[in-house]
Amino acid sequence: MRGAAKLRLRLRSLLRRDRVEEELDEELRFHLDRLTDEHVAAGLAPTEARHAALREMGGLDQRKEECRDARGLALLDELRQDGQYALRGLRKSPGFTTVAILSLALGIGANTTIFTFVNAVLLRPLPYPGSDRLVILREQPAGSAGTVAVHPLNFLEWRARARSFESLALVQTPPLDVIGAGGAEQIARAQTTWELFSVFGVGPALGRVFTREETQPGTHDAVILGYGFWQRWFGGDPAVLGRRLDVRDGSLTIIGVAPPGLRIGLIEPDVYTPLPIDPAKPESIGSRSFQCYGRLKPGVGLDAARAEMAVVASALARQYPMDEGYGVFVSGLHEYLVREGRPALRLLMAVVATVLVIACVNLAGLLMARGIRRRGEFAVRSSLGASRGRLVRQLIIESLVLSSLGGAAGLVLAYGGTRALVTLTADALTAGSIEPIRLESTCLAFTLVVSTMTALVFGLLPAWQASRVEPQMALRERTRGGTADRRQHRIRSALVVTEVAMAVVLLVGAGLLLRTLSRLVRVDLGFQPARTITMKLFLGARPDEARVALVDQILDRIEALPGVKAASTIQFLPLTGMNCGTGFWLEGQARGDPSQALPTECSLVSRGYFAAMGIPLVDGRPFDRRDRMGTTRVAIVNQSFARRYFPEGRARGRRILVVWSDETWAEIVGIVGDVRHNGLTSEPAPTVFLLHAQTPGYITSLVVRADGDAGAQAAAVRNAIREVDPTQAVSAAKTMEQYVADSLARPRMYAALVACFAVLAVILAAVGVYGLIAYVVAQRTHEIGIRLALGASRGDVFRAVFGQGARLAFAGLVLGLVAARGLRAAVSTMLFGVAPGDPISHVVAAAVFAVVALGVAAIPAHRASRVDPTTALRCE
Amino acid sequence: MSKPTDLVQGTLDLLILRVIALEPMHGWAIAQRIRQMSGDELRVGQGSLYPALHKLEQQGWIAAEWAASENNRRAKYYTLTRAGRKALENETVQWERLSAAISLVVRRA
Repeated sequence: MRGAAKLRLRLRSLLRRDRVEEELDEELRFHLDRLTDEHVAAGLAPTEARHAALREMGGLDQRKEECRDARGLALLDELRQDGQYALRGLRKSPGFTTVAILSLALGIGANTTIFTFVNAVLLRPLPYPGSDRLVILREQPAGSAGTVAVHPLNFLEWRARARSFESLALVQTPPLDVIGAGGAEQIARAQTTWELFSVFGVGPALGRVFTREETQPGTHDAVILGYGFWQRWFGGDPAVLGRRLDVRDGSLTIIGVAPPGLRIGLIEPDVYTPLPIDPAKPESIGSRSFQCYGRLKPGVGLDAARAEMAVVASALARQYPMDEGYGVFVSGLHEYLVREGRPALRLLMAVVATVLVIACVNLAGLLMARGIRRRGEFAVRSSLGASRGRLVRQLIIESLVLSSLGGAAGLVLAYGGTRALVTLTADALTAGSIEPIRLESTCLAFTLVVSTMTALVFGLLPAWQASRVEPQMALRERTRGGTADRRQHRIRSALVVTEVAMAVVLLVGAGLLLRTLSRLVRVDLGFQPARTITMKLFLGARPDEARVALVDQILDRIEALPGVKAASTIQFLPLTGMNCGTGFWLEGQARGDPSQALPTECSLVSRGYFAAMGIPLVDGRPFDRRDRMGTTRVAIVNQSFARRYFPEGRARGRRILVVWSDETWAEIVGIVGDVRHNGLTSEPAPTVFLLHAQTPGYITSLVVRADGDAGAQAAAVRNAIREVDPTQAVSAAKTMEQYVADSLARPRMYAALVACFAVLAVILAAVGVYGLIAYVVAQRTHEIGIRLALGASRGDVFRAVFGQGARLAFAGLVLGLVAARGLRAAVSTMLFGVAPGDPISHVVAAAVFAVVALGVAAIPAHRASRVDPTTALRCE
Repeated sequence: MSKPTDLVQGTLDLLILRVIALEPMHGWAIAQRIRQMSGDELRVGQGSLYPALHKLEQQGWIAAEWAASENNRRAKYYTLTRAGRKALENETVQWERLSAAISLVVRRA
């Protein structure tokens, strides 16, 4: 019977149980009836005849059981035999087994590790009910891929007009200063409209959430504690409801506790307070600086919501000048949070998949070589009656056993790898992930699938090859090379060339990313990050004059500290991902017409900022103490601004009006150097600096430049603030160098990981080259012996074998360099200051691989040249 | 259930293969035929035939199909497959060698 028919029968026994049972019953009943008939014919009464027949058959059920055994056990027996046989075979060749399991373990371990990250960051949904309906809404200037935060007026309009959403909530996250036993402390806060909790689909852990009335204008003192803050500040006391939380300017009534693990965007708020919006004057709470979250109605898709919001946006643009040129950006919340990690993880996934393929190609080569060595064994088995199907099955089971062992070892590696990677990439990758990253059942299933596929795909070809054996031929040839050998050799050579090519591609990629990293490390930031510490201050609901005075006094104190060279403030520090994009009018333009406003970024700083941050003054003067509320309003612009808007070079002395600042024109008194405010790789944007002392802000950061170690100044700075106002809290200190290091974390991680995997790939490919050449040498020892006996020099032998390895490596190298061209588009977005075709990366990658491959080929070549002719000729 | 010894098991397989080599047959008929051909010497225990049949079917030596029997009931008919025919040849050779060897020993002793 053909293998397929046999398999069908087996499957039928296993899968169509009921049918098989029925037939078994019918078959035995037929026999029973015939036997009964015989007894009746012999003169017994029908009932007696039946009983006698049953007795003779020894009971129908027992017979059925025996038949079931006979059907099932045949298959299981054979499988067990094959499994044991495979294990015995692997134990007998420990070298092969070790290399095979190790390659698989590395390949599978790397894949499982990266998949664990992909799963945690990209695939696992947010931990809220119906989280696929959670969306984020932002405003999008026409023609721009970027988005900006939401204006409260637009939020009110969206909430009133849009039908796609079950609920929409507006949130802002200014910190809050709370007063505890240890003094003032700055904590994370979400100021929100009452819908927030229903948008996220969660209820309070304790107490209640805000009512609609609580987020209307008026005085409200309700506060909901974040779960973590409740644990930390109140020890998780359930009697906390109704108690008061002391803040700088009074106290708030605790009405509830939020559920654990609730994150608004990326922050986990310590407290939630109401965000009252006055429908008559929504802009009184701020402009485009709010986050808007929504929950789609069931059955409403993202596209439908986008379409509706496009209509709403165009209606608003007609109604309000400030909305002219703005659309609405709607995205799934999860999608939005992981947007930055996604391309990186995809790239890493592709990289580790390549490593796995290389490992598998290696394994396929090893299996083929093993198949040739075992040809005699197969020939014996097949002449003893083993069918070809049986041999193929045997080999596939062998590779399944191998891949299971490799998978298990890979899992151990992945466990360690994941833990190491979580530590290494804490800053670079976990942003956006909500849950901790760990191996879980999805990852285990992934490993299982990968291992099994590996065994099937890469075990099948060698198995098929090995089973194509003519017993007589094989028994006669045994170890000498025939045509089958040459075909196998060609296939193995092709496999080795392929893996070399893939390793070279990874090496080129690693080179490009390393060069990018070195460019980034040396990039000109435009400021001096060394010896500078920063702290965030929330000035809160003080009147304008008080906010100006507070900053003034604090700076005075800090400047007087020994070891402090300069001190100042800025609303949003460079490299923190925060900026304020706005527009301005030039003197002579029709002011107040938003469509005429020119785009610029705006930074609100205090006197001494440029000295504190180490930004060079190019022209004019810096801000100083004379620039106050009542004096002429002054502005300083950066070089990009000056170049773009005053190409003729006469920026100083001109007057501009920044859109939201207030109603007075400001005179440009100086020009400063450009700063990479929005990240190491982003070009400086035109920026205008205004003075906190003339346009006081609410949120600001201290910048203190020290003579020596800036970190040592943190305590003194904190003291200085407490002396000015004991109720003023301040965030933990962070040096500007730390912000720079944070910006480098991601490119550093890419480069490190891709380099690691490239090294792994090179090692595996080298093993492949070595394995093939060593095998060829072993096969041809006899022939080499003859050559040497006939007068070939050892140098000739070395050159011949080495040349074969070199040709393989060279072919792979060329193929790899060609393939690398195809991948340029994929990596170009991750590069900075380096062209995807960068010759240095390519040359270095090629050189590194050439050295490794030639070194590896030299070992068996050397061994071949040391062959002793007499020994070689005597064997066989 | 006690299992027949290997020798008996192997012999029963050989008998079954031999009998259905002539024509497709159901279990009852196979048992009858063995008894008849052996001159009533060999009696296969009622029903002990079936596990052997099912094992041979799983091995691919015999195939089964349902057909109407001589008394017009549905019965499961077994036929020899190609592999089965080859196996029968092998087993016959083995058997002849074995029985010849045994009789040699028995006679000389």
